[in-house]
Amino acid sequence: MAEALLEITGFKMHFQTDKGVVKAVDGVDLTVSEGEIVGLVGESGCGKSVTSLSVMGLVPQPPGKVAGGSIRFAGKDLTRLKGREWQKIRGNDVAMIFQEPMTSLNPVFTIGNQMVEAIRQHQKVNKKKALSRARETLREVGIFREGILDEYPHQLSGGMRQRVMIAMAMVCRPKLLIADEPTTALDVTIQAQILDLMRRLNRETGTAILMITHDLGVVAEMCQRVVVMYAGQVVEQGDVQTLFKNPCHPYTKGLLKSIPQLDKRIDRLYSIPGHVPNPRKLPTGCRFAPRCEFASDICREQEPQLLELGDGHVSRCWLEDKDGTRRGADRDATTNTA
Amino acid sequence: MPPLFLAHGRFERLVKLLIAYTIRRLLMLIPVLIGMSFITFSIVHAIPGSPAQAILGEKASPEAIKQLEQQMGLNDPLYLQYFRYMEDLLHGDLGTSIKTGRPILEEIGPYLAATMELALAAMIIAVFFGVNLGIFSAWRHNTVVDYTSMVIALIGVSMPVFWLGLVEQWIFAQELGWLPSNGRMDPRMFFEPITQFVFIDALIQMNFEAFMDAFNHILLPALALGTIPMAIIARITRSSMLEVLRSDYIRTARAKGVGEGLIIYKHALKNAFIPILTVFGLQMGLLLGGAVLTETIFSWPGVGRYLYEAISTRDYPVIQSGILVVATIFVVINLIVDLMYAWIDPRIQYGKE
Repeated sequence: MAEALLEITGFKMHFQTDKGVVKAVDGVDLTVSEGEIVGLVGESGCGKSVTSLSVMGLVPQPPGKVAGGSIRFAGKDLTRLKGREWQKIRGNDVAMIFQEPMTSLNPVFTIGNQMVEAIRQHQKVNKKKALSRARETLREVGIFREGILDEYPHQLSGGMRQRVMIAMAMVCRPKLLIADEPTTALDVTIQAQILDLMRRLNRETGTAILMITHDLGVVAEMCQRVVVMYAGQVVEQGDVQTLFKNPCHPYTKGLLKSIPQLDKRIDRLYSIPGHVPNPRKLPTGCRFAPRCEFASDICREQEPQLLELGDGHVSRCWLEDKDGTRRGADRDATTNTA
Repeated sequence: MPPLFLAHGRFERLVKLLIAYTIRRLLMLIPVLIGMSFITFSIVHAIPGSPAQAILGEKASPEAIKQLEQQMGLNDPLYLQYFRYMEDLLHGDLGTSIKTGRPILEEIGPYLAATMELALAAMIIAVFFGVNLGIFSAWRHNTVVDYTSMVIALIGVSMPVFWLGLVEQWIFAQELGWLPSNGRMDPRMFFEPITQFVFIDALIQMNFEAFMDAFNHILLPALALGTIPMAIIARITRSSMLEVLRSDYIRTARAKGVGEGLIIYKHALKNAFIPILTVFGLQMGLLLGGAVLTETIFSWPGVGRYLYEAISTRDYPVIQSGILVVATIFVVINLIVDLMYAWIDPRIQYGKE
């Protein structure tokens, strides 16, 4: 296995609000190796975006607060960085593209201006060189046409804008690209093109990609490994093959079951019952227990830990703790009645 | 040079659109001015007292006043007087001052120049401090800095301008003696007026002593006059910046590694500028109308004082034409502001292609 590029361990990002602390991210462990494409999946509000924004240092603090854990990128702990150190990393080593291509480009500056800015932020080149770099990168993402550098974002379509965003993110050849639902706002044909493009860039430049999505179809198509998040925690992690074939956590099972399939005629599409818990009032015990069909007493009382199942496959579920070795490990595990 | 993407005559087409828009707006000025002339005419003639009385003084006999009024045509029916006034206007004649007997068009020039200089100086102060105060507030949203700036802005809008002017004079001219308390220039200064704009004249003649003198004279009135616009601009900048700083493209700029300074002054400010520009136009128009109070306190020979004196002597033609000139300037300033929107935001276009 290649060397770990991004290593998040026990990371917690909490938000101070008037109505109490919101534990948006509460114990995330994940690694992305060099050149790897990792999918981060989960329902809306499970902490995917906050996790990815934390890697970029884009969570405003306050109200955000790192409540524990670390994010190591190429050996450096990002949670300790200050303003100027961040500027050197952002856009240079780690780049990010966002969900909303329509509003992610500054409407009052030309494409050329915004791309040149991205280049000259990190490289000491003159404007002419930067412009030719910009042209070259736009050609790589397949939207170069004469005069595009002098156009404004509103003159481009959503798909083209997302390609400009990708070009802008890739222009400094980052080691890691974080893509926060890059295709959600685009129509299906464009989605496929954008995913193709990202896969090609990954192959050609070796840039690792952390792909945040709620679309398991995208994960199956793109990623080597998947991390499933629920209510601010990682609940299951493993390579795509294993996870799709042999999901362990009931939440992952539910997610997989809710993908509609063409070859089976069913009257109702499956959906996991209930809702993501309010992050201000998280249930005690397993956070998924209230929605889980397999939940037993221990699930409602004690929080399960991530359990190694072999081959990098981990799951946070009492069901996998068949021999009960982990139960005694918890400090106040007095209830063995289950 | 036209940008590359505007090849194939597109740039020329855009310029044509812009010119067409400007002409359309200038044509719309005509009904505005007719309305203005009618309103000022009616109000002026509704003021009690008559110019004849003002010219002849308190003790003049009623017969003498009657006779002078007859001479001046003030006894003719109002509609006739109005049509006479309009006829003169159409010939480009703003009328003649009753008090001085000189054509208003000639007389108003130096006053306008003085007012423009003062208004511009006041707006420079207002924009510089207002925009930065607003930015600072938005950047440190909900902190002590934010609250302090907004309290300053609130005090700024609530302060009566005459009071502020008097306090300034007392502190800076009377007690500290740093700055002159009134006038546009030291009367002893040897100075040749050319354009009536003292700063430009001083530069043309390379008279730096006069330039500095004019600069010292304009500081206090400009500060008094600029305080309210400054406070208004600070508040509008703050709310506009707060909205822009939350937008996706600011996050994108941060993700590129752009520093805070550039984010605020380049990426955010240009997007936040349209409401600021609108307020700027309105305030500039108001100040150009002449600030009667400030000009009186600081003995500034501007339009405000010109009109004020005209009103007290019932100088009908001066009041009517003076207001008309001021209204025209107001409309033109706002037209310029409207044209500047397109320059700031490329999505704004005037008319269809």
